[in-house]
Amino acid sequence: MQESGSPVLLEHLFRREAGRIVAWLAGLLGSANLQLAEDAAQEAMLRAAQTWPFQGIPPNPEAWLFRTAHNYAISFVRRSAVFQGKADALVAVLETRAQPTLDLDAEQSLRDDELRMVFMCCHPKLAPDVQVALSLKLVGGFSTEEIARIFFSEQTTIAQRIARAKRLIRDQNLALAMPSSTQLQQRLNSVLKVIYLMFSGGYAAHSGEELIRSDVCLEALRLGKLVASSSLGAPRVDALVALMALQAARLPARTDASGDLVVLEEQDRKLWDDNLIALGFSYFDRSIAGDDISEWHIQAAIAATYASAASSAEIDWAGILEHYDQLMELTNSPVVALNRAVVVMKVHGAEAALAALIPLDGNNALQKYHLLPAMQGHVLAALERFDEATAAFSAALQCDCTLPEKRFLQRQLEMVSAQRHSA
Amino acid sequence: MPNYVLLLRNDGEAWKKLSPEEMQQKVEKYLAWRNKPFVVDGAGLVRDTGRVIRAKSDGGVSVTEGPFSESAEVMGGFYTIEAADYDEAVKLSLDIPHIGLGTMEIRQVMVYNT
Repeated sequence: MQESGSPVLLEHLFRREAGRIVAWLAGLLGSANLQLAEDAAQEAMLRAAQTWPFQGIPPNPEAWLFRTAHNYAISFVRRSAVFQGKADALVAVLETRAQPTLDLDAEQSLRDDELRMVFMCCHPKLAPDVQVALSLKLVGGFSTEEIARIFFSEQTTIAQRIARAKRLIRDQNLALAMPSSTQLQQRLNSVLKVIYLMFSGGYAAHSGEELIRSDVCLEALRLGKLVASSSLGAPRVDALVALMALQAARLPARTDASGDLVVLEEQDRKLWDDNLIALGFSYFDRSIAGDDISEWHIQAAIAATYASAASSAEIDWAGILEHYDQLMELTNSPVVALNRAVVVMKVHGAEAALAALIPLDGNNALQKYHLLPAMQGHVLAALERFDEATAAFSAALQCDCTLPEKRFLQRQLEMVSAQRHSA
Repeated sequence: MPNYVLLLRNDGEAWKKLSPEEMQQKVEKYLAWRNKPFVVDGAGLVRDTGRVIRAKSDGGVSVTEGPFSESAEVMGGFYTIEAADYDEAVKLSLDIPHIGLGTMEIRQVMVYNT
């Protein structure tokens, strides 16, 4: 054939442009017409997927997708009875911004569209898990099936959750506009939480789905950078981006070839992503410019301390413990307390760690959380209280956890039982 | 070597189940196949109803929109490939990532032996 050079599409072009087209069209048509914006984006992707295999990739694929979605939206508004009376006005609006040229100005305005969409997805009337799913769907360009895979839910559950959210947006007229200045800071905080929930969802270790999971982590990182580079940029946003970049850098080292978990201290540091580490540190430096000290700052400081050690033997555990003490003061979260106990063991030994775990026993928030009994088992084994350690690891295995986590616990259990016999 | 025409029909519902990421992966696989040396030609068809032209009983001509509905399989495009025989043409076509997204029809292009 004529164009024999192998054409290359930018990685994730379809997924990225799907999100941008939805944000752009919804910005023009209003959140009441969110469904049309989504349908138009899907139609553009479908037409591309069905014609490019024969015709090759057009010279400017992004503009092709935008134009196709835009044309679809206009012809749909014209022929659908739903828009009776409003059709002319909507078409006029659509035609004011026909076919973005994708120059720098348009690029900036598209970023604003995306940002408004993220802020709408994080509206306080929506529950946090809904906010995460909706952001992934509308802004991230993930399908409900992919979101279901990421969160280990049924596809129908995710689809219903998203449908309900979209109904609520339509019925309550949740606008695609930035909240007023009094609510803006509060909404920014929930946007940051949702972005980190999205990141953690991708970061949780699961077997088999590594690709899609790191995609979700990188999407969360991209959204964090989007907020950081906007007029809403603040030191705590930079801190969140730093935290995500430093953690995402460890993704390639976190599981071994067989998909088993590798704990931080045993990770091959050569596998860490240098670009993400550098990105993390540059955002970390920016984050400490102001007086603002947020939860994200401290978490980022912990991640930075791990990353700056030349080897696992050189990790500054005492410094990390100080950060955890600060974090405890700020959040009083049982999960933070549990992670702090891990560090207490490094600095002050197993007896002290056991004491730090006592207040967590019976904590409601940690019920069914496998890491509490797993940590108890770890500490008890170090104290050579093998029977109790065995019981703790067995309890951990009764909790909900992923296959790599189960195998990890199983290995711990076997090690304890071997030690018990040799003791 | 004889030429074969591959007619690809799209199953709209099957395509709609794909996520944007999966669609892109499909496009990349189609294009990788299209760039193989045995592919002579190819073209996509605009996805609309097209026109059907028929003779009318009164001697006139009727022109109607195609009988295609959203759910029916619509012709998406065609490729022309070179292959030794039908067996090879089928074998080469099985690498097109179209399986599950519609049907493929293979026909040998006729030439006169002069």
